[in-house]
Amino acid sequence: MLVLTRKVEESITIGNHITVTVLEVKGNQVKLGIKAPKDIPVNRTEIFENIMNENLRASEAPMDLATLAETFEAGGDK
Amino acid sequence: MNTIKTARFGEIEVDESKTIHFKDGLPGFQKNKDFIILEHKPGSPFLWLQSMDTPALAFVMINPFLIKRDYLQALSKEEEALLKNENDDELIVFTLVTIPRGQAEKATANLMGPIVIESGTRNAKQVILANSGYSHCQPIILK
Repeated sequence: MLVLTRKVEESITIGNHITVTVLEVKGNQVKLGIKAPKDIPVNRTEIFENIMNENLRASEAPMDLATLAETFEAGGDK
Repeated sequence: MNTIKTARFGEIEVDESKTIHFKDGLPGFQKNKDFIILEHKPGSPFLWLQSMDTPALAFVMINPFLIKRDYLQALSKEEEALLKNENDDELIVFTLVTIPRGQAEKATANLMGPIVIESGTRNAKQVILANSGYSHCQPIILK
């Protein structure tokens, strides 16, 4: 991993189009500003990992088609 | 017509109009870019998203509006922008369904990460709606 030290209001540039700026540091929290093209998704890593892990689970759908129900009821709120 | 091998459906003929392309793959499956959409059974709400190059890789999908009628209606401007496309194509939206083996009653739908397809170009992406309040594992009950 590349490690860079930056001060508040300093930034780093990734590739030609992505800039990450340190906006504020408070205790163990850092506020970052991210400029990236619209087609580059920017997400908190734990959210991305949630989606990735859910995709991995979803890819393990039963091989046997007969086990897949014909209909379903929406759970939770509708 | 081209054919592809699949683990679940054997060798199938490829209807080019049913193929979709993920430029960046899906999170966890970045290398799998080409998929075909298959019906589960006539009349079934479920579809399959079958990889064109990995026979064993297939996801179950459903129309998310069957789960939540007002799905995607109250997004922030930023998240709405994630659903826009350059060509103003009509967008087709699906959501992946997770069905634990032998526990179909614990099936969930990933409403936080819908699959969005441009109807004209057939380009697709999985959009992450992190601030939408939608769950990545919304329970659905299979009958």
